[in-house]
Amino acid sequence: MRPGILGILLYGILLLPPIIGLLEGQMILHMLVQLPLLIFSGWLCGAAILRRMPNYRAKWNGNGIPGILVIVFITTYWMLPRAMDESLVFWQVELFKFIGLPFAGLCLRDSWPKIKLVGKSFLFLNYLSMFALMAWLYIDAPVQICNNYAAQEQQLLGWGFLFITATMIIYLVQMVFTDQSEST
Amino acid sequence: MEMIRKKRSDNSLIATYLAIGATVVGVMMIFGILMLLAQGGVLELQPAAFYQFLTIHGTGMIGAAALAGAAVMWYFLRNYVDLSKKIFGLNLLFSLIGIVMVIIGVFSFEYASSWTFLYPLPALSANAWGTIGALLYLVGMLVLGVGFLLMYIDVGRAIIKKYGSLGKGLGWDVISGKKAEADAPPATVVASTMVTIVNVTALTAGATVLIMNIINVINPSFTFDPLLAKNLTYAFGHIFANSIIYMGVIAVYEILPRYTNRPWKANRIFLIAWTMSTSFTLVIYTHHMLMDSVMPKWMLIMGQILSYANGLPVLVITAYGALMIVYKSGIKWDMASGLIFISMFGWTVGVVPAIVDATIVVNHVMHNTKWVPGHFHMYMGLGAVVMIFGFMYFLSKEDSSLKTNLFDRIALICYTLSIIGVSGGFLVSGALSTPRRWATHFPDWMGPAVFGAVSGVLAAISVTIFVIHFIRYMMVRNKGNEGKVFHERKLA
Ligand code: HEM
Ligand SMILES: [Cu+2]
Repeated sequence: MRPGILGILLYGILLLPPIIGLLEGQMILHMLVQLPLLIFSGWLCGAAILRRMPNYRAKWNGNGIPGILVIVFITTYWMLPRAMDESLVFWQVELFKFIGLPFAGLCLRDSWPKIKLVGKSFLFLNYLSMFALMAWLYIDAPVQICNNYAAQEQQLLGWGFLFITATMIIYLVQMVFTDQSEST
Repeated sequence: MEMIRKKRSDNSLIATYLAIGATVVGVMMIFGILMLLAQGGVLELQPAAFYQFLTIHGTGMIGAAALAGAAVMWYFLRNYVDLSKKIFGLNLLFSLIGIVMVIIGVFSFEYASSWTFLYPLPALSANAWGTIGALLYLVGMLVLGVGFLLMYIDVGRAIIKKYGSLGKGLGWDVISGKKAEADAPPATVVASTMVTIVNVTALTAGATVLIMNIINVINPSFTFDPLLAKNLTYAFGHIFANSIIYMGVIAVYEILPRYTNRPWKANRIFLIAWTMSTSFTLVIYTHHMLMDSVMPKWMLIMGQILSYANGLPVLVITAYGALMIVYKSGIKWDMASGLIFISMFGWTVGVVPAIVDATIVVNHVMHNTKWVPGHFHMYMGLGAVVMIFGFMYFLSKEDSSLKTNLFDRIALICYTLSIIGVSGGFLVSGALSTPRRWATHFPDWMGPAVFGAVSGVLAAISVTIFVIHFIRYMMVRNKGNEGKVFHERKLA
């Protein structure tokens, strides 16, 4: 199957009310499954969409940095605990979620190949420290941060972030300590 | 020829780094002197002002020395790997923005948590400073960190590209015997790899804890575990401050061989020493936690044992190497070679009190006394910073025809004596159980502080002379009448 169709399919599934209910019912599923899958759907559709608009790409995102900034802003916004909360209460925020995140995925498709290795590494390390902070915040917070999720769910999410952080660290360490001279 | 011209133009950026770094070090000394005068009862200083001075002195010294150290690393490392000048320039830009934010935060908004910004102090100042001051300081530090992180990423990228991996940059394949000693990476590459590893770690930990503090300052209802905060804060502060000497030491590895016409060989023991110091540096920040009885015992014991050993492998191998390379070499002593040699002395002497302090038994008595600044002023002031000054004289000699004069030589001697005076004053205070970071002292404690202040004045004057020489060099080379092919000139 073509990736574009796969992306649309994924997006459609994520839009199904029972799926929305399921994923948003659990904090960890909301943050670490629904949000990333939305980005992924945008990324999958990306190639097909971008092929149809080469001028826009060159004009607005020539060096990839504007796109990266969009991604950083959107994803940082969704790391705020209250953003998750509000998306359950206000339909506008929910709408922004379903449009903004796939758009971030689209930008990722366009920008990632364009930015240099230093930029990629910098982003990687930034998300690494952000995720570590999220893990810390959610595991450690003595109070319930979100109105819609219990403190226990919050902790589970924290452990999820910790797992991601640990994975990223392992990936990083093996990248820099194994020989890269053949592959690059 | 093209290559040389390009290098010469890069030198102006490097010189800018050094001029800024050395000037800031000199200015920060004035704040150090003012603090000592206040502690010595000579100067009437509001405690609030004292803590602002303490904050700016600590932050400024570490930041400025790190900038200048980075310039030393970059100058030599570019001969071996392909570095990006754009990113090097970007680091300077980010650092300057960060420094300005920090200065505004400290002086206009009275932020004074000291440079360790230990959670939850930034938010809980009992109204000594407000949110804006704390944010300016914390965000300023973050911006500074962004610049350095970009630079180390670039250094790491370049080393991996040339040598295959950071492990190979440390010479692991030589240690394991897969490669011959003759093919070992040069000392400069080894040191740069080490600094990249430890500082990328430090800066990532630092970013986490800085953003945490920022969140807490903006919204104090978000609280965090203070013990983990302390761990991360010192993982950042200790490592970053320590890395300065490992960048500065590159000047030793590169300059002494040029003066003696003997190569500095990175042999197997040298490589092992650097790998040991790399891993020790990453874990021994725990010696800052010796007072925290809640820390797991094994971590503290490790922290102690490794503190004995932390810089020691590299120090021993470097001091020994320096002696060997100089011994009967007929070296010509001038400002550069003299300063480089003194820096080895300062580093060695400065480590001894640190080792004493890192003992848990002694630490319970000495920790948080002025013994601690005593040791780090010795190895920073007479070790790391002197490597940088030595490099500055080396650069001005290699890159221009500017001559040194009697003032420079007097300054060298005065500087050495004065830092011994400043550090000695601290050590005596520590032995008298004078606490560190106290704005006011009992009359019994005042003597060594006044002595330190007087010594400090001498140090500040000497640094001024160093800086003047360097600025003169920058002016000479800017006139552009240095057309000679300088690199063929022999220093020895
Ligand atoms: C003329 C030379 C200097 C003088 C007179 C001086 C003076 C001082 C004084 C009085 C303190 C506070 C001590 C206390 O805790 O009561 C201090 C702290 C400190 N100094 Fe210096 N200093 C000098 C040079 C340097 C240099 C060259 C460096 C590093 C490159 C440096 C780095 C620091 C640091 C990191 C602190 C700790 C700040 C803190 O406790 O938060 N100083 N210095
Ligand atoms: Cu330390």
